[in-house]
Formats: sequence, C-alpha cells, structure tokens
Amino acid sequence: MTAIAANAGPVSAQKLAGYGVAAIAAVLVLYPVFYLFQAAFDVGDPQTRPPTAYGFDNFGNLLQYPQILLNTLTVSFAATVMALVIGFLMAWILTRTNVPGRKLFEQLMTVPYYLTPLLGALAWSMLGSPESGFVNQVWRAAGASGHIIDINTPYGIAWVMALFEGSVAFVMIAAVMKSMDPSLEEASQIMGASRLRTMLRVTLPLVIPGVLGAAIFVFAEMLGSFAVALVLGSPNRYYVITTAIYQLIQQYPPRIQVSAAMGVSLFAVMFVMLFIYRRVVMGGSYVTITGKAFRPRVADLKGLRWVLFCICVLYLLASVLLPVLTLLFASVQKIAVAFPTADNFTLNNFRAAMSMNAVSSALGNSLLLGFATASIGIALMGLLAWLIYRSRLPGTGLIEYVVMFPQAVPRLVFAFGMMWAWLVFPIPIYGTTWLLLIAYLTVFLPLGVRTIAGVMLQIDKSLEECAQMCGASWTFRTRTITVPLLLPGLIATWLLLFIASVRELGASILLMGPHSKVITPAIVESWFGTASELTATLALIQTLVVAAAMLVLVLVTRRLTAETVG
Amino acid sequence: MPGQPHIEVENLQVFYGKVPAVRGVSFTVLPGEQLTLLGPSGCGKTTTLRAVAGLEKPTSGEIRIGGAVIYSAARNVNVPAEKRGLSMVFQSYAIWPHMSVFENVAYGLRVRRIGSTEITEKVHRALDMVQMRDFAGRRTSQLSGGQQQRVALARAFVFEPSVLLFDEPLSNLDAKLRTDMRIELRELQHRLGITSLYVTHDLEEALAMSDRIVVMRDGSVEQVGTPDEIYSLPRSAFVADFIGSANLIRGHSRPDLAAGDTIALETADGQVIYGMAYGRSVGEELTFSVRTVHLQISLQRPAIEKNVWPVRVEKTVFQGDFSQVHVVWGAQRLIARCAAMEPIAPGRDVYMMVEPRRVVLLGA
Amino acid sequence: MAIVPMLGISAPSVLAQGMSKSPTKVLDFMTNADVAKAEQEGQLVFYCHENEAGTAGIMEGFRKDFPKINTSYVRAQTGALYSKILAERSAGRFDVDVIQLSDLAPAFDFQKKGGYEHYVSPETPAYKDENLSSPHGYFFWTGVDPAGIAYNTDKIAAGNAPKNWKDLLNPTWKGKISCKISASGLQFVQWYALRKLYGDGFWKEFAKLQPHAFDSRVQLFDRLAKGDDMLTAIGEYPAYILFKSKGAKVAFVAPPDGLVATPLVVGAVSKAPHPEASKLFVDWAMSKRGQAWYQTNPNLYYGSVRTDAPPMPTGVKLSDFKLLYPSDWNEYAAQSPTFLKEWNGMLGL
Repeated sequence: MTAIAANAGPVSAQKLAGYGVAAIAAVLVLYPVFYLFQAAFDVGDPQTRPPTAYGFDNFGNLLQYPQILLNTLTVSFAATVMALVIGFLMAWILTRTNVPGRKLFEQLMTVPYYLTPLLGALAWSMLGSPESGFVNQVWRAAGASGHIIDINTPYGIAWVMALFEGSVAFVMIAAVMKSMDPSLEEASQIMGASRLRTMLRVTLPLVIPGVLGAAIFVFAEMLGSFAVALVLGSPNRYYVITTAIYQLIQQYPPRIQVSAAMGVSLFAVMFVMLFIYRRVVMGGSYVTITGKAFRPRVADLKGLRWVLFCICVLYLLASVLLPVLTLLFASVQKIAVAFPTADNFTLNNFRAAMSMNAVSSALGNSLLLGFATASIGIALMGLLAWLIYRSRLPGTGLIEYVVMFPQAVPRLVFAFGMMWAWLVFPIPIYGTTWLLLIAYLTVFLPLGVRTIAGVMLQIDKSLEECAQMCGASWTFRTRTITVPLLLPGLIATWLLLFIASVRELGASILLMGPHSKVITPAIVESWFGTASELTATLALIQTLVVAAAMLVLVLVTRRLTAETVG
Repeated sequence: MPGQPHIEVENLQVFYGKVPAVRGVSFTVLPGEQLTLLGPSGCGKTTTLRAVAGLEKPTSGEIRIGGAVIYSAARNVNVPAEKRGLSMVFQSYAIWPHMSVFENVAYGLRVRRIGSTEITEKVHRALDMVQMRDFAGRRTSQLSGGQQQRVALARAFVFEPSVLLFDEPLSNLDAKLRTDMRIELRELQHRLGITSLYVTHDLEEALAMSDRIVVMRDGSVEQVGTPDEIYSLPRSAFVADFIGSANLIRGHSRPDLAAGDTIALETADGQVIYGMAYGRSVGEELTFSVRTVHLQISLQRPAIEKNVWPVRVEKTVFQGDFSQVHVVWGAQRLIARCAAMEPIAPGRDVYMMVEPRRVVLLGA
Repeated sequence: MAIVPMLGISAPSVLAQGMSKSPTKVLDFMTNADVAKAEQEGQLVFYCHENEAGTAGIMEGFRKDFPKINTSYVRAQTGALYSKILAERSAGRFDVDVIQLSDLAPAFDFQKKGGYEHYVSPETPAYKDENLSSPHGYFFWTGVDPAGIAYNTDKIAAGNAPKNWKDLLNPTWKGKISCKISASGLQFVQWYALRKLYGDGFWKEFAKLQPHAFDSRVQLFDRLAKGDDMLTAIGEYPAYILFKSKGAKVAFVAPPDGLVATPLVVGAVSKAPHPEASKLFVDWAMSKRGQAWYQTNPNLYYGSVRTDAPPMPTGVKLSDFKLLYPSDWNEYAAQSPTFLKEWNGMLGL
C-alpha cells in the first residue's frame, strides 16, 4: 500500500484520477437508482412527472402477487443448488483427481459462460418442449407415449440456468480448493481414513465457507436472471419477478409503480445477500486476497478417472455442444422436427437472417459496443480497482459499495431506472448507442473491478513500493510498473467485458432505440415475432460471429503479451 | 564520521487504528554508520523503517534526514516517499519480472532522467560490485534467490543515495548464503560509505554487521548500543535473553559483601554470587545476568574464592561445536555452554565457576 | 385532379404549411408532401406493433419506392409501443415520424393528446369515413387483421374441431390452447366483441382452460404447427396463409358468428423529426401501391379497406368475412382498464 501525504501541496495526479473516477462511478450508478426508488415510492398519478405523492402503497400491492414471489424463490433456489452441485463436482474432479485432460477441461469450463443463457434457453426449449421437443419426439418414436422431459417447468428453468451458472460456481469453488492446504487431507489419510471419508470429513468442512460464498453469489445472480425465465417460463404462464416486470411495463398503461416496487424489493434482498457475502464470507472485501496457492494433492483414481472424464465431457456436452448442435439442426429446417423428411431442409432461414437489415446492423452495433465497452471499461475499472484496493485515500469503502451496487440490482430493473434517468438528461443520448455504452459500463462495474482487483492484489505491493523508493512518481510507476504487470489480467478482463457486453440482454432490451439495436435482444425480439427456426438461425449466427471475434482477439493478444513479458 | 546525525527519529508513534505498533521510538544514525533495529516479530522494527521510508504514515513524532524535516506531525509535514531521496532493499527483493536485470538496476537512474551512456556506465559498475555483471541482459525470472538479492542491492545504490534502508534482506536466503552475504553487504556498505538503517530479527546478523544496535520490543526501544555493549551489558532481562542465551539470577542485595566495583547478591535459597553493577543503580532486589558461555564447568574444584559452587549435572545436550550442560544450582537450574568435551553423565557432581565481571547487574 | 384539401375549413388545429399547395403525383399516387424535401431529409423513423419481419417488410416496401430515404424502426406490441412513445414525448423527445398501432383505443387517446400530426392525404377519398379518423387527417386504417380459430390437424380430427367461438370452451383444450397477451390490440377487440356476444361468463370459462399467451401471431402459429398447442383462440388469417404455405398442418375456422378484427391504424406523428418524409409515407401507405404491398407481403397479408382494393392473395375479399367490430369505438376504448385487469389476472399477472 502506498501512503499518501495528507498535504502534498497541490492536488496530486493520484488524487485527481482517484476521486475523478469515483465521481464518474457514483453518477453512473446512483443516478438511475435514484429514479428507480422515486418510481417505487410514487403513489400519485403515474402519468405526472415528477411524482406528486410518495408512500409505501406500491409495496403493499406486491402482496397481490404472492405466486410470482414464490416462483422467483423456487427457481432461484433450485438453480443455485444445481449449479453448486455441478460446480463442486467439476471443481473437485478437475483440481483433485488425475482425470485425463485436466488442463484442457479447465479452459473449456469457461465456455458455457460465453454462450448466453438465452441461447441455452432457446436450444433447450427446442429439445425439451413436451410436444415439439426433439428429445420427446425421439422418446415417442422409441415407442413410449407422452413426454419424458418438460423444460417449461420450474425445474426445467432451474436446470438450464444451472447449466450455465455452473461454470461460474466452478471457477469460485475451484479457487477455494486450490487454496486449501493439502497436508490437511494427507494427515487424515495417514491416520487411515478412506478417500471418501477424507473428502466428507476433512475436505468438505474446509471448503464449505468458500462454497457458501459461491452459493450466496450464485443465488443473487439467479434472482435477477431474465432470459431463461422469459423463454421457458412465460409460455407456461410461469412468471418470476424479472419477467413479470418486463410484462407489466410493456402494457398500456404501463404498471410502472408496482414494477419499480418489485424491482426495489428484489434489490433489497440481493443487497442483503451480497452484504452478507462480503462481510461474513469474504472478510470485508469483495475480492479474495489469495494467499499462497498450494499445489493440491491429486488423487490417483486409476480406472475411475475415465468415468470422471465422461462426466466432464457430459457437462460440456449438455451446456455447450448440445445447444449449439440443436440450433444448427433447427436452423436448416423449414419446420423443425426431430426426424425431418428430405424436403424439410432449407437454407432459407440463413438467407432471411442475412438479409434482415436489423440483424446485420444489430451485429455490427454489438461488436462495436463490445469493443468500446471493453476498452473504456478496463481504464475506468482499472482505476477504480486501484482506488479501492490499493490507494489509501479516505472513503474507499463507500466507493466499493457504490461500485458493487449494480451487482445487487437485476439488469432489467437497473435499466428501468436508467431509462427514466437518461430520458430527462439534457444531452440527447436516449435511444442512441451512447446510452447502451453507458448502461454496459454501469452494469459491468462489479465484474470488471472485481476481476482486475483480483489480479492487482496478486501483485506484490513491494514491487510498486520499490519503484517509489527509486524516486518514481505515481504516474511514472503506474506506467512503467503497475500497468505492464497487470497487462495479462487487463487483457483477460478486456475479453470478459467484450463477451459480457455482446451477450447482454436485460438492460439492452429496454434501452434499445431505432438506431441502436443490438444482437441479443434482437434474438429475443425474433423469438417473439418470427418462427423459431429463424430465431435459432440468428442465435447461431450470433454465436459464430462472437466466437470468431474472440478467436481473433485471443490470437492478437497472445502475440502482444508474448512480446512484452519475458 | 562524528558530527551531525544523518537520520534522526524523534518520538515516533505509529498507530493502526487503535493498535499501537510503534510507541514513542527515538534514535539517531550517524553518517556512514549502520544502525540495526533488532527484535522479535511484532516489535515494530519494520514499521519504524517503513515510516522512515515514507511507506507508512506515522501518528506523531518527527523524522529528519540530514537536518531536513521529512515528517513532522506538529509542523504538518509529510514528504512523499518518492521525494525523500532514500533507497530501500526489500525482504522479497521486489525484482520486476517484466524487465531485464539491466533495466531493473537502471530504473532509479531513468527516473532521474540520466543520459543513457551514463546509465550504462553506472549500471555496469554497480553490477560489477555485486558480481552480477554477466547477468545484465538476462530475464530476472531465471535468477536464484541470492542473485536476485544482489540485483536488488545494485539497484538500490546505483543512483548514489545518501541513505539505504534494509528490510530483512537476507531472511529469505538459506543459512550458508546468509552468512556469506552478510559479509559482502558489510564490505559494500563500508566501501560506499552509505548510511544504513537495517532491520532484522536475526541476532547473529545484527551483531556481525552493525555499528550500533537498537533492540526493540512491543513498539518501544529496550536498549541502544554497540554490539559489544548490547551483548556484554544488557540493560534488561529481555535484552539479556534475546541477545544470547543468558541465565537470570534473582535475589536480594548483600551490601555487606560488596567491595570496590564488585557487588553481591543472595538468592532465596541462600546462594551467594558476586557480580558488577556497571554504573546501574543497586537496589534491594537485584537481577544478575550471566551468559551461558561464561559459566565454566570443571570436574575439579577450581582454586578460586568467589563464585565457585558444587553443582549437579542434570543433563547434557550435544550441539556439535559445543554442548549445553544443564546443572542444578540450589533451587535453580542454570545452563552452561561448554566447548566440545566428553559428555558428562547426568547426576554427576561437578564444579561451576564464573568471573564476577561476567555477572552483569540488570537495570530496573 | 387537383383538389384543395378540406382541412382548412373544418379541422380545429391546422398547420399553415402545405394548405394551399396542390397535391403532386409521385410514382402512381398523389401526395401533399414535398418529395424533394423528403428525400433531402433522408430518414424515416417508424414505430410499429408488427413483429420484426412484418415491420421490416413494411419498411422494405417504402424503401423500394423511395430508395433515397433511409428507414429505421422500433417494434413492440401495441401496449408497449404506446407507453414508450408517451414516455419519450413526456420527457421532451420527439424522435418518431410515423406510428402504426393495432388498436383504436390508443389511437383515439393519441389524437386527443395532440400526438398525431393533422395531415389530410389526397388519397383520403379512397376510404370510407368509418375507416378514417374523425375528423379526417389524423390516422387511417391501413388494413384489417381478421382472426378466427385455428388448429393443428394432426392433433385434432376434423370431426372434433371447433366450429364456433363457443366450442373453444371445451375442457379438452385445457392447457393446450393459446391466445395473445394483454398488450395486443386484437386481443382487446376479441375480448370486447365476444363479451358483447356471449356475456361476461364467456371469458371466465375461458380462463379455466389456462391458456398460454404470446406476443405475436407468428409465435402462436409456430407452436400450433409444432403441436405445442392444439389450437389457438385467436388465429389470424394472415398468419394462417403464411404457415400453410410453409407446409404446416394447420386449419382455419371462420366462426359463423363472425371473425374478430382490429383495424391497423397509421398516422403521422406531430413534431416529427422528418415531417415531409412522414407525410410521404402516409400517402404511400394509403395509396393503391402501398395497400397492394401491405396486402401481398407474406409477413403482412393485411386485408385492405380501400374501396377499390383487389382481393387478398388467396382470392378472399375482406367483405367475404363477417367481421365483428365494436359498434361504439368510444365505449370500447373506455373498457380498456377492465380488459387489462381481467386479462392479466387470467394470465397470473
């Protein structure tokens, strides 16, 4: 940590940059939240702005929707449990056993995150609908009647959510497992405990705090999940808070007030959970300050390891391969069925998709926005991460809360506040891509700051302090020491932000304008308004384009990092 | 060397929230001298060093370098670390992995915008001094711990700072390397004539390298003195014990037996031992400190009057170059360090003696 | 024929521009807009309730005839679209040139609020009074979307198929029948019309079937074609034509009591960013040419109400259908809150 002189004469570059970026973050985050709260407490005539009367009535009205609240909790809980099981299992397999191809699997485990849950929902909808789902068609062809899976149930929704969030749970739990001291397990085994007993009595209890942390985090994310519930739940009249809000504000007259109240309630719950996460689990910060990383003892499971290998393959199949192949299969048919006849095949869907002006402009916008968000993002979030976790400026605890705020607000709800906030803003950015850029930078603050901070904190403080002792000013040493050391982490964050912004749905769907369409909401619009085959085609095109962009970027950055770091 | 002190630390206090890490520490370092802050972990030595460096913000006190105030709570002065003109060698070496050895060493010069021919010359000279010249172009990831330490050293003095701060620079090295590096560092420091403030918890290191030592405990100074003074004349039980294994003997004063410089103490169980006060005040209850190495064991009774006792050997612990003989002396157990000898069987009766001048009165 | 527009005499809020201008001919229709200026403006922003393909289709038609004018659109179901434009206008944003809605109720409301530009097109005489705003010049019926019942022929044998609206209330259809969400204008009309015909109890019985609700007719027919639903209570004729042509196993039933239909209304928006282009579009849409496009584009297949309109591509004329319109549009509009409450309640919202 670098101490800052209380009176170093004129305002230092450090303080300027630090407080400047904090002010930007505060405006980005708090401005929309204010409008959200204002709407939630507005009990006057919804058409008049600014509000004429304030009260708690809207929250009282929430009690008319007990089913929706119950649904939200059910689905989130089920999804969290499933995601944790997947995450824990995969983490244990990949960090603790000698399953073949460990390194490769670890890399591949992040791929489900890159595919949007929307894609998964669309694909699984095609696989698991009780009537038209491919799996059920195959089931019936095999002679049985009825259907074997119904993806449009709460557990179906939870399953699809868990498949994708499982990879996030995996990353968190694997990190915990990697920081466990293997000698603790060895002690157990030396005393004669079997491997299973060791896992249950030693490993599990040690890992539980970390798993609990992951659970809270995942649960908070699930509460705010939108895409899957929209595609799989809405057709079956199964609403959760986010999809309910979406429907309620689509009507005329829009039920703004009760939606805002729902949003604020959800926010309150998520905020409390994340507060617990920070205080109890993380010991006062949102970022793990990883100590020594141990080399965990890897169990040799001999024959059993091939079974585990299959499990890993199965997960990747279910979460990545199967959805993509399903979409491909559907996209080349006129009317998608499990056993198409020869004349059912067509390339028309691709032709139609390519010619749709909305698609090409949406794709272009998405890629451009991704680029802009990532590039501006790493500068903004890098400075914020430094400010919160490395500088000793006063007030950084408060700033950390502000930066992590968007984590506690479902994207849709946040965008709701943003819609109002930026609508009245004097500079006309409403309806333009600028608004989307601002929205993305805002909602990704927690993600970016957390990731960069994680990398930053692994850099030994003394490396920067030594530069200080050699006489380097803050700007000099940031440029020559901090940034080059951070570079691999910054690049990784750049890619993460790029992907996150291209796959973003909840905020974009509310904030798109006629000239600022982006691809993921466009796919949802397509789902609403075109045949499912065309939607599948669009989703596929989006995936391929993004994958191609990612490949190019990874190759370019690999060359870049190879040149700078020795 | 005599004259104005180079570093002056006055009543330094550093609080972490409510926890005091440094409570009112004062000392000075003369130009060209190496002063070592010595003490167990948690005693505040590193915090004090970092406060001098500017990497920690003290709560109160004053720090002056070459007469200029660089920190003063009263005068509201706190010069940022990068402007203090000091240099530091870190415990973890802090070698920058993304730069070559040359670039690491050159950093301080680049900051000062020295021309590149001059940089090359200075860097090579510095590397020569630490015998790392051949490694100039290498990537630092390939260096061993000792090599990294040398590079860190070269980097620290290449821009000719007037003060060098050392934060336990040798503690990450293995024992043999540590002893060698100690000597090298000392020689280097003498050659360059740089004032050094050194922090370590290793007693041997402090004794071997320092001009003066400040023994610290729990945020306060226990004793300041040359290695010899600290070793031979510890002021308190803590210093006595920390600086080298010492036997502590308590009892009441026997002024009737005092003569000249010599004073006497009688233990609770009636043993009488003669020692010297060395200018410390003699009260009713006294504590003597006797180094284990000064207690002599012999099988025959020595022909001396004072400070000879028959004792029983409890056990002998073989330590290679020497053995530790545990004896029963009245109601107390004492430890004598004896040079390599035939092991004495437990239960054996032997004689123990110590010169009175080796029996040191501890301060109150 | 150079006709001086009548708006100068009867309409209250009248804009000075274009009043004394004679209509000009462009392509094969008459317009009061300044075509050169419209092309200079170069842009048209269109808000529409249609699904993506439909809206894009409308824009494609206009762009084909006027390539110098770039088009961009926002599509959302009528309820959502209307709240969006009102929210924007209340915040001082006027970014929309033309708006198309699938429900007369918001159209009336928008007219009252001064949202429409008062512009009387020279194509107006081709329309009956009942298919225009009152007074003329605010909006017009660009088409009619009739809906009957549609079902999957694999799932339902012809003998068991529903023949009239009342047959929808068969408990066999529980969980297998679809309808539209409350933001849909057509759904509102159907609710109103069938309630008038069969009484309050009709929809309460219908609610017991736990229908699935969707945004667009394409979704409804998509599910129908795949068998996810057995039948739909609001099968729009245009969608039926489209899916039949793709080979889907669907059948259409025109209940003898009548088909429900909603007018699709287009109007130029006041304070438009591209006023000439918006007027040009209204004229184009009203013209034979525009109407032909609306009627024949596979994503639209609207029934035209132009007095000289040819039959729809299937050979059927709108007048061949018995259409159930609300007799009093104002009374209909006033029922909106009741409809929303009941419909949302049925869907669990």
